[in-house]
Amino acid sequence: MTRRMTRRELLRVGGLGSMVAFLAACQPKVVEKVVEKEVTKIVKEVVKETIIVEGTPQVVEKEVTRIIEVTKAPEAIAAPPAAVEGNVVVMHFRHELTEDEENQFEADNPGITIEFVAADLTRFFAMCAAGTPPDLLRCQAPSIPQFLARKMLYDLTPYFEISDVLSLDDLAPANSYYRGYSPVAIGDGPIYGMCKDWSPDFTLFAYKPAFEEAGLDVPDDTTPLTYQEVFELARQLAVFEGERVVMWGYGYGDWWVDRIWMNVLGELDQSLYADSFTRIDLTGNEHAQAVTKYYFDLASENLVANPLNPSPSWNGEDFTKGTLALLQFGYWYSASAESDITAGQVVMLPAPTWAGVRRDPTMTATGMVMAAASKVPDATWKVFEWYNGLEPAIARAGGGWGVPALKSMYDLMPSETEYQQQVQRVLQEEFKYAKVTLQFNPFLGETTTADVWAKNLELGLRGDITFDELLANVETEVNTAILEGVDRIA
Amino acid sequence: MSTVQSPARRPSIRRRLSSRSWRRTVAFYTFIAPWLIGFVLLTVLPLVLGFLTSLTNYDGLNLANIKFVGLRNYTRAFADIDTRFSLGRTLTWSALNMPIWMILAFILALLLNRDVKGQGVFRTLYYLPSVIPVVATVWVWKIFLDRNYGLLNAIISLFRPGTAIPWLSTHALLGLTAIAVWSGLGWGMVVFLAGLQGIPDELVQAARIDGANSWQVFRHVTIPLMTPVIFFVLVNGLISSFQQLVLPLLLAPTGMNVPPPRSSYLYMIHTYRQIFVYQRFGYGTALLWLLFIVIMIVTLLVFRTERYWVYSEAAVGEEGR
Repeated sequence: MTRRMTRRELLRVGGLGSMVAFLAACQPKVVEKVVEKEVTKIVKEVVKETIIVEGTPQVVEKEVTRIIEVTKAPEAIAAPPAAVEGNVVVMHFRHELTEDEENQFEADNPGITIEFVAADLTRFFAMCAAGTPPDLLRCQAPSIPQFLARKMLYDLTPYFEISDVLSLDDLAPANSYYRGYSPVAIGDGPIYGMCKDWSPDFTLFAYKPAFEEAGLDVPDDTTPLTYQEVFELARQLAVFEGERVVMWGYGYGDWWVDRIWMNVLGELDQSLYADSFTRIDLTGNEHAQAVTKYYFDLASENLVANPLNPSPSWNGEDFTKGTLALLQFGYWYSASAESDITAGQVVMLPAPTWAGVRRDPTMTATGMVMAAASKVPDATWKVFEWYNGLEPAIARAGGGWGVPALKSMYDLMPSETEYQQQVQRVLQEEFKYAKVTLQFNPFLGETTTADVWAKNLELGLRGDITFDELLANVETEVNTAILEGVDRIA
Repeated sequence: MSTVQSPARRPSIRRRLSSRSWRRTVAFYTFIAPWLIGFVLLTVLPLVLGFLTSLTNYDGLNLANIKFVGLRNYTRAFADIDTRFSLGRTLTWSALNMPIWMILAFILALLLNRDVKGQGVFRTLYYLPSVIPVVATVWVWKIFLDRNYGLLNAIISLFRPGTAIPWLSTHALLGLTAIAVWSGLGWGMVVFLAGLQGIPDELVQAARIDGANSWQVFRHVTIPLMTPVIFFVLVNGLISSFQQLVLPLLLAPTGMNVPPPRSSYLYMIHTYRQIFVYQRFGYGTALLWLLFIVIMIVTLLVFRTERYWVYSEAAVGEEGR
């Protein structure tokens, strides 16, 4: 038998219902929140350019995206929806990610904080050991195979595919170092990071007065020298006063000498490493012997700074002091090549060749990667995207310290002075030869090979060992290090 | 009727806890707790972890698949030519640096122990190099000793034009010694000076009354009474010289991981490079433990010789009996 509702129960239900209706009616209107914010507007245009296909006489039209205007102005915009949040730990150099930039990003992206950690190898190891590696890590191309082998990197491909700021098609060739199907196949495939800027690293800088002093003409900046010609020039340009070197004939990044060897051997379709990078092959490869002998001879004739006759500082400073005639560094050096002494006296030359095949890739591709262990990948991507595609990237592009990582920013490189225009002319040509990717060894540290070479070079220069013994020592020590790396990683 | 003595009763726990000796024990450990905790956490624990690391193939990044290798890192050190070479260089460096530094510091202390005008100024000036940051010191000396543009070779070139002695490469150990002696003189001088000022004047005056000349006073009064200080400086100096790292590292040619020249390739340089260039954390920590053992042996040997040449009043008292 059903029970009838009492009057009190009816009043109770009715009261509740009215209250609900009343409360619902009293809800504030949902007004779309509007905020005023400084918005960066980048205006790009797509133009058609006529280009010559590399290696053929074929002329084609290609669509190229260019930045034509960058503005920043306050604008009233709808408040963004529930934003990505998180504390992003970034391990970097302070002068490459300033406090002002950090503060600006945090102001523009409430909810995301950047925790800056000065780049330091010891601290990085400690953070990894603690299971809390930095979300974003500044690194260079040679580290990528090692990190990939240890599964330390976050696959950023999905982020790139939906990004409005960073497009895979807009990436400069140097970014291929951050792509790889495997640690031994770098260049294509999933992308794990990108470079902050880059340079074709094998170009030359000539100090004109040194050539005048030697009675030589500065080489033509449209025709590459051969390495053998560079050696001869170095001999003629070097100036000695008794045992003293007054003018170094040549200079190069000796701490990256193995990368130079890799590029030179690449001209001959040879590799420094064999058997899937499980061993270095110097004594069994006549081309590797010839290339390493070249650098040994440069040192033994005191044409370059060497372990027995080191530079007081580094060869970049020797050049700006007017005590080095011909220096092999990339475009990045153009920003500092002109000093009070060398101003107006510097010419950039194309990368030399060993066997007539032009190759001028970057050998560093300094950039950043995201840790696979990142707990805030979305927030980390926001920082990554901003650093590599927005204000910091635009500022870097105009600084002249490197070629922008995005092709659409190429036009932002400085070209006001005659020197900068000359550099740009050479650089534009070198771009054609910058598409190759050096394959670094995933089982070795970044500087192991160069370090072992330098140690044995001193013994060889002093005559304690012969050149053949030097090569054998380098091979043995590097192979030992490779085996250890295989053991640790595999 | 004999009375049976009841056995002595142990005080109750409450009485024991409130006893004076217990309170003193608690107070003792409370006062040393901060140091003890720091010692355990910052010294003992890292030592233990370091030893455990030396038994593995840890490279800074492979914690997930680290392998226990037993004593392989230790046996490797004995077979490694570079390890033996660097240890030899370190012994050579110690044998070169220590006597020069100690003798010069002692002479300076003797000179500054005299009552001369401006004594305070000279003491300050000689101590200044010890307080200059080591990076600044090395940079200045590098400019001075550079082969091609250095001041020293420029001065020598006045007499022998075109001189370019490689002070920072082939003769790097000499360059290193010059820098170490120059920057360390101040500390040694201060310690020796404190020792000299602790020598009672009455002994010197008594010797003079007995007809001793200055050399005899120095030989038979000053030196014996200074032997404890010399011993202290010797032991500390030996330990420091075996652990020398910063000077040769900064003196090396600038550049990413450019190795220091063989001449100044000391043991700690070799260890540093094993860890930070080759990422051989396990091997590097094994090298550090071996160095610890070497330093212990050397120090014990020096202590063993103490009774033959270090003057102590306790020993003299025993002889007098």
